[in-house]
Amino acid sequence: MTNTTATDSGSRKLTIARAMAEATAQEMRADPSVFVMGEDVGPLGGVFGNTRGLYDEFGGERVRDTPISETAFIGAAVGAASDGMRPIVELMFVDFFGVCMDAIYNMMAKNTYFSGGKVKVPMVLMTSTGGGYSDGGQHSQCLYGTFAHLPGMKVVVPSNAHDAKGLMTAAIRDDNPVVFMYHKSLQGMGWLGTEKGATVATPEQSYTVEIGKAAVAKIGQDVTLVSLGAGVHHCLRAAKALGEEGVDAEVVDLRSLVPLDRETVRASVAKTGRLIVVDEDYHSFGVSGEIIASVAEHDLACLKAAPRRVAYPDIPIPFAPTMEQWALPNADKIVDAFHQMMSQ
Amino acid sequence: MSTAITVPEDLWEGDNEGVITAWLVNDGGQVSQGDLVAEVMVEKAQYEIEAPADGRLTITKQEDEVVEKGTTIASLDD
Repeated sequence: MTNTTATDSGSRKLTIARAMAEATAQEMRADPSVFVMGEDVGPLGGVFGNTRGLYDEFGGERVRDTPISETAFIGAAVGAASDGMRPIVELMFVDFFGVCMDAIYNMMAKNTYFSGGKVKVPMVLMTSTGGGYSDGGQHSQCLYGTFAHLPGMKVVVPSNAHDAKGLMTAAIRDDNPVVFMYHKSLQGMGWLGTEKGATVATPEQSYTVEIGKAAVAKIGQDVTLVSLGAGVHHCLRAAKALGEEGVDAEVVDLRSLVPLDRETVRASVAKTGRLIVVDEDYHSFGVSGEIIASVAEHDLACLKAAPRRVAYPDIPIPFAPTMEQWALPNADKIVDAFHQMMSQ
Repeated sequence: MSTAITVPEDLWEGDNEGVITAWLVNDGGQVSQGDLVAEVMVEKAQYEIEAPADGRLTITKQEDEVVEKGTTIASLDD
């Protein structure tokens, strides 16, 4: 990074974009096998800002701009990882996984298994998710469930800069492939609808956040709100609104989807007896259903009411701002879901 | 001594307005000269504002506020 940062580390805040870049720079300094590859990750610093400063410090050999061929450069990353390097490769929009999915789920995710453990694939696939800024149905999806469904790769989804830095450091050091899914509205890039709550105090020194551990973002007693990424901030706003009604909501930030921290979710619901899952990914066959199943198949008796979910409807994401905002999860919908739960 | 933090005249080309997208130090925080303190967005591009001196930060233009070149956005006091 070319810029120095505030000397008072307790007050220094980072955006998720800067946190990702700082973690990457620190690991690149420590380990010459780490390198970055993708579209516009070089001099531009990434269209979402998460490789800013890396090209200036490490040069074009280790921060490689690629042609627009995800098939080729993600395949190349799998090869490099299999041969001892630690590539960080960016799929600019997760929506375009279609053109490179064979490299991801048949090679990246399975080569360790196919080789009987002889071949490690220590790579990070970072990719942007989410909408809310009117970019159409092929630039706005989350697809968390799609990646979490397929075995062989870890999947992380940070909601704030502190976790983003720690998860990125952990992902780079992990000997398994890790899919690092960052939500565009949390990046600190104004035109993407910046969520202020994601820009938080972030230590300057290197540290890890354990992959596979959820966090309780707010402690409460009456209802458990489970979410990830941008949804965590909707839940925190909903919890505040519910608090004004005298309802004490707990908010669980999953942080990782694979491995999934079912224990933290179950422990919370065992306490509150009520569960609402908030997910910007599609409603059906996804994260929200998996979370509810994790509780229901473990202990149905702890539930005081049928669980609910506030997820993206099963429709292509509209371009028109009013239509897109109508479809997205938000705090009001979470509060409504709680009221409906209590009225039954 | 008090030093104003203003939006530098050469931060971006042209006379477009910008928006403060992030303060990277809390109001009242201590900063050193050269520290990155804020980000300003102009036409989908982001620009960095650095502290022109050491001091304690007092923010006068909040996140989401519109700024121009030369706008004072904060002050630094010994």
